[in-house]
Amino acid sequence: MAEEKYLTRREFIAAMAAVGGSIAVAAALSEVDSLRDLIERELALELPDVVREAKGHTVDGTHHWAMLIDLRKCIGCQYCVYACQAVNDVPDDMRWNVYHPEVTDTGIPFHMTRPCLHCNDAPCVSVCPTRATWQRDDGLVVMDYQLCIGCRYCQVACPYDARSFNWQEREGPSGYQPEWGNAEVDRRPRGVAEKCTFCIHRIDRGLAQGLVPGEDRAATPACVNICPVEARVFGDLNDPDSKISRLLKELPTFRLREDLGTEPNVYYVPPEGMAI
Amino acid sequence: MTAMIGTVRRQVQTAPLFSFWLLVLGIMVIVGLISGIRVLWYGLEVTNLTDRVPWGLWITVDLSAIALGAGAFSLSTVAYIFRVKSFERIARIAVFVGFVGYTSAMLALLMDIGRPDRFWHPVIYWNIHSVLWEITMCVILYSMVLVFELAPAVLESDFVAQRFARGPRLGHFLHQFTPAVSIVGLGLSLLHQSSLGATYGVLVARPVWFKPSLPVMFILSAVAAGSIVTLALTVFYENMIRQRQIETRLRNAVAMFGGLLMMGYLYLKLWDFLATAYYSHVPERVQANNLLETATPYGLTFWWIEIVVGALVPAIIMLTPRLRRQDSWVVVAGLLAIVGVVVNRWNVTLSGLVVPMDWSPGAAELFPVREYVPAMSEWGVAIGVLGYALLMLTLGLRFLPLFPKSHEKGHH
Repeated sequence: MAEEKYLTRREFIAAMAAVGGSIAVAAALSEVDSLRDLIERELALELPDVVREAKGHTVDGTHHWAMLIDLRKCIGCQYCVYACQAVNDVPDDMRWNVYHPEVTDTGIPFHMTRPCLHCNDAPCVSVCPTRATWQRDDGLVVMDYQLCIGCRYCQVACPYDARSFNWQEREGPSGYQPEWGNAEVDRRPRGVAEKCTFCIHRIDRGLAQGLVPGEDRAATPACVNICPVEARVFGDLNDPDSKISRLLKELPTFRLREDLGTEPNVYYVPPEGMAI
Repeated sequence: MTAMIGTVRRQVQTAPLFSFWLLVLGIMVIVGLISGIRVLWYGLEVTNLTDRVPWGLWITVDLSAIALGAGAFSLSTVAYIFRVKSFERIARIAVFVGFVGYTSAMLALLMDIGRPDRFWHPVIYWNIHSVLWEITMCVILYSMVLVFELAPAVLESDFVAQRFARGPRLGHFLHQFTPAVSIVGLGLSLLHQSSLGATYGVLVARPVWFKPSLPVMFILSAVAAGSIVTLALTVFYENMIRQRQIETRLRNAVAMFGGLLMMGYLYLKLWDFLATAYYSHVPERVQANNLLETATPYGLTFWWIEIVVGALVPAIIMLTPRLRRQDSWVVVAGLLAIVGVVVNRWNVTLSGLVVPMDWSPGAAELFPVREYVPAMSEWGVAIGVLGYALLMLTLGLRFLPLFPKSHEKGHH
């Protein structure tokens, strides 16, 4: 009997030590880099300081990024999927940008693709218990892989199945590199969620270089650049003269599941034979 | 070593059944440890969870363990806030069951999150808009309340009293704060027990889940089942040591409390069904219910286990004087209440997840009904968590004074 009692005390002390230890570790780790800092560092690497200071940009809501996908034009080549896989170094069994063959109510086939919709009222953002995912002032819904605890509530909450989880440690090369591009971002660790970023690294670096996302290729998402029929248009909704702002005025468009009130920033032009 | 073997041999000879029980618990814990280490080493790859069904058996374990621990705050509330003195006699074991339930849930959660090393992140990086954040904070704070409420039991135990003479006095001192602490505990429990239902209830895109009744049904079922389970465990323990611990009047009162709340839960559940599936026909929900009925095991028929066997029968046992007088019926009611809660939490979780969300604008059948059957490693961890809970209950009942004499006399 005495041994058992003695063990209980040891367990108790071990538990107390664990609590104390984790508080200390918590304090130390709260200094980890956020995604924002990592991007800042990347900028510093690739650009001379002069350019950065002259054009040094902040995310202050002067831009609002959005995408238009013209389902009349899409031919279903899936280049957008492949370029995304390569540039964002997405595992082969995961998709940030998905493709489905679809059919209208009247029976006419069309091609459906879906990146993350970067909702203005994103369910994934409101449910995240750690603010690992949030919407920037420029409309991008982004992830901080350093904050994510891997609870997967964002996956459960996203109405569009747009979120993926790293179930395993990433091994081996992507099947889409280098044919469709090279990895431009770091691989995500095991145990965190991830999603399409609208190639945030290109946007932020491009703005710092004085480029215009949506017009200059180096500052535009890979899926938009690669599209052979220009079915995808990317740009700034706050700029009334941007291509996307003009097209949204001219063309009939809809967004996915508008009834849910998520206010997506991806607009679709309906295919032939679909009434909206 | 030889002394230890001697102790074990004596133990086996004098109490073979108890030894066998400890052996079973030991095996369960070892199975859990092996599975847990596998999960931590290889990651969640070893589960059958997927991007489309990212929550499964472990979430059911969390939700059930927390629900079954709800007797702690509810019986403490009756005893210390409503000042029904007789309930103090059962409040402590209720708190202990709560402690075991909450620690079990945390064990399962630690396995479930992709980055267990970051479990503390919600405490630092607040997202006050997230129900899950609120739950995390409440569960952490409430666990501290449980530790505080349980501290007198530990301090009064023979083990502490023999080594630390002031233990019992300190315990008594801490116990004075129990009413105040109970109020905090009540607030925290009401919040997170309900929010666990809201975790599902607030998701607009899930037609099976999106409704305001889920938070209320979660807390009602938890309080009802938690109280019945506490009573059943008490009665079981009385039979083990062949000595009554609570008076018949208290037993009747707790049984009525649990039974009536269970009936209240069933009434709400009936209206939840009537309002969302019988009297109204939101197309998406109708479609989802048809899918559940035809293509999954989560249809209405499955609810028979949950509602009739797991809630109505225990409620009837609790509310019928002739039945609740008999120990075996009370224990049966407790076991059925556990079945009811576990099946309900499983049903709620899985029924919402297996119904696909149709976000594509076309008419093609793009999204099949999802399937999920837990993997071996998931069962292993679940068995380990259950083993931990049973081991804790066994040790607690064996070594802690969980049925204290009233503290009234000691007050000055």
